[in-house]
Amino acid sequence: MTYKSQRTVVSMAAGVLSFAAYVAYALGKNAREPESGLASWAVLMLIFIGVAVVAQIAVQIVFHLARSIGIAVREGGDDKQVERIIKAAMVEDEMEKLIGLKSAHIGYICAGTGFVAALAVLALGASGVSALHVLLGSFAAGSMIEGGVSVRLYERGVRNG
Amino acid sequence: MNGAFGMAEKLTITNNIRKLRFFADEMTQLALAEKAGISRQTVISLESGKYTPSLELAFRIANAFAVPIGDVFECKDGP
Repeated sequence: MTYKSQRTVVSMAAGVLSFAAYVAYALGKNAREPESGLASWAVLMLIFIGVAVVAQIAVQIVFHLARSIGIAVREGGDDKQVERIIKAAMVEDEMEKLIGLKSAHIGYICAGTGFVAALAVLALGASGVSALHVLLGSFAAGSMIEGGVSVRLYERGVRNG
Repeated sequence: MNGAFGMAEKLTITNNIRKLRFFADEMTQLALAEKAGISRQTVISLESGKYTPSLELAFRIANAFAVPIGDVFECKDGP
């Protein structure tokens, strides 16, 4: 697996863990305070979004450190060669942009479908909190699918046009 | 079908990057990536036929080997 695939998988893993932590906490909150209003859930979601962003940054820092150490060990401590390898892997070229566009497109479709599903949930008479959760779930799913599509395109290839 | 309203068939574009690297004193993928301003991952994808580059990148790769673009890329379905 290449650097960009690994980076995406690590990012997806951090996303899954953050979302799982949110789901576990939300289930507990729902059991404790079944009458919580929209504002209370919105605050909780904002807090978890912040936590997820910080977790992503921390995980990426650890991943890049571990990878740099791995390359340094493999190259026998040749600093210039290590720097060259890391730089060459991190270049954002047209293939990366194309893969980013294609995977983001699929991610947006998923998030958009979630928005429609949230509206349908509201139309069917469910609470605003349920609709909010459908929306959050679809964004999380969209993000995961986007990551999965990126990895698939990095590994299987992509065509211009 | 390649009609006025039909989708044009996709062309099969192959490349000789691996061969050209060999003849360029076994230029490494890393060195080619640096010369063409792309990532090593992209060089790997190009060599294995998993990625078809834009015209600009195709020219940059040809320039990196100092050869005409036709020596690097070939269209299998062409004349």
